[in-house]
Amino acid sequence: MLLKIAWRNIWRSKLRSFVVIGSIAIGVWSLVFLLSFSRGMIMTYIEKAIENQTSHIQVHNPAFINADVEANELEKAPYNFIQDVTKVKEALAADPKVEAFAMRSYAHQTFVGVAGKTGVANVYGINPIQEKVVTNIHSLVIEGDYFEKDKKNQILISASQAEKYNIGIRKKVVLSFTDKNGIPTKVAFRVCGIYDTKNQLQDQFNVYVRQKDLNRVLGLGEESHEIAVFVNDVDGVDAIQENLSALLPSQLVRVYDQISPEIELFNVQIQLSTFIFTFIFMLGLIFGIINTMLMAVLERMRELGMLMAIGMNKAKVFKMITLETLLLGLISAPIGMLIGTLSVGYFKRVGLDLSNFSKGMQKFGMSEIVYPESSGDMYITFGIAVLITAILGSLYPAFKAISLRPVEAIRKI
Amino acid sequence: MSIISVKNIHKIYNEKTVPVHALQGVDLEIEAGEFTAIVGPSGSGKTTLLNIIGGLDRPNQGKVRLADTALEDLNDNQLIDFRKNNIGFIFQAYNLIPVLTSQENVEFVMLLQNRPKAEMHKRAVDLLKSVGLEDKLNQRPSQLSGGQQQRVAVARALASKPKFVLADEPTANLDSKSTADLLDIMARLNKEENITFVFSTHDSRVIERARRVVNMIDGKIESDEQQAV
Repeated sequence: MLLKIAWRNIWRSKLRSFVVIGSIAIGVWSLVFLLSFSRGMIMTYIEKAIENQTSHIQVHNPAFINADVEANELEKAPYNFIQDVTKVKEALAADPKVEAFAMRSYAHQTFVGVAGKTGVANVYGINPIQEKVVTNIHSLVIEGDYFEKDKKNQILISASQAEKYNIGIRKKVVLSFTDKNGIPTKVAFRVCGIYDTKNQLQDQFNVYVRQKDLNRVLGLGEESHEIAVFVNDVDGVDAIQENLSALLPSQLVRVYDQISPEIELFNVQIQLSTFIFTFIFMLGLIFGIINTMLMAVLERMRELGMLMAIGMNKAKVFKMITLETLLLGLISAPIGMLIGTLSVGYFKRVGLDLSNFSKGMQKFGMSEIVYPESSGDMYITFGIAVLITAILGSLYPAFKAISLRPVEAIRKI
Repeated sequence: MSIISVKNIHKIYNEKTVPVHALQGVDLEIEAGEFTAIVGPSGSGKTTLLNIIGGLDRPNQGKVRLADTALEDLNDNQLIDFRKNNIGFIFQAYNLIPVLTSQENVEFVMLLQNRPKAEMHKRAVDLLKSVGLEDKLNQRPSQLSGGQQQRVAVARALASKPKFVLADEPTANLDSKSTADLLDIMARLNKEENITFVFSTHDSRVIERARRVVNMIDGKIESDEQQAV
């Protein structure tokens, strides 16, 4: 009966209840959308980072990544190539969950000189055919070609580098290396293609050459510094990492969020922004609920006084007010979630074009079209948040209700 | 033995600012089965006395004993329980729960007493029949006239099987016909089922029907007379 009374009480002032339900629903909707949007943006970033550069898993010589592994070792030094590369290749080839892998060599912070202009680049020596299967840099070539001509010392630079050095296809770029023995050497490369990943952080520094050309310059043979691994199922990436780490104890096997720490940062950011937005939403909502329920209590003082006069104890009065608020939350939260799901679903399909703002976003590697992405956790969090807020919001009005003295509330019996 | 016994009751409002002595040493004994009217002009203290008898207010001085229970010994929660099980209330403004039907309003008191569902239904229907509202079981208060609402209030007051029923100016908002009907019902329940009614009023039509009339002036009982009906 208490539930029945609470339910019917909500509809005594339809307009007021609709306003509360509407505001909670809009709040939940905006939360769902906003967080799906930021999640989508970050997911797109992660996907792009994986596709353009990182791939799912990378294998390195531990010394290549961490200069502290052994004294006097230089981080990313050319001599820190992967040991026993055949064993690594065999392990990768034997794992059915590994879709493909590509061998890479690397020259860190290489000095670039182009017709009087200078800069720094990270030079990747790739096997163009292998790399095609692992990353999509080949599909991002906007001018020239992707190592199609079998010529020596070709280089693929980014559009932002082309602009910076004011060069184009077939122009010469001089790179200054230090080989594995520490001997400096200069080599001229000719631009075969210009790519654009839209990620300015990446494009600012990365250039690609054939691995055999880079290895020759660095004094290496068939060695590689990095193996990029592409897996069938991204959800199983941690299991594959574990498996490969066990098979290759002397190698460092890392997954994409370990490789690019900003991905982990973004994940933390999603969680943090979910928490902050939910907290702000709850704070706003709580005052709305207190206001509404207090009005509902004050309007019904006489009735509440009568209920206590005829024997309804304070606990039941308290429960009734709390139930009324909870019911408002239980009606509105699913409405907000439904609208949120529909709008997220729509924009997930068509994408949200932010090209007007994309220049700033591109600097950080964000895509100009965002596909919002919701998650089950999000809905559970918001559902619980609304219910907790409803209960918290009902406390003051409920205390106000039970602090009424029946004789004053009804004035006289 | 008296079902209601008040001894030397004093009630002072605004004690710290401008004290108002609403009751000044009231003594009253009411036996089971009485049909008593407490009458007097506005400000005479009849509502204050009824509030104290009903356990809705506490006196500054004096003792209230209802059905062998001393009210001063009960805390607020015990007092609520006591009211639930021993006192039926009829209010001037009916004060039904607007979102419940007539039947649900009557059942509500029994629900607070945790009575079995079947018993609640049966008793609610029987009581509403006895006040002539068998065709209004599923109507909400807003769909009933003032007289009908007050009859639902009578049925509700009796639902908990109280020791006595207190009614504060129950006919104040009713027309003559409804007043007569309500008084007939209350008198019949008093006579046939020996239910004790105590009501405050200054309505002469009500006073005429009371078997005992307690007249109050300035917080004191001026006269206390039995009368033939």
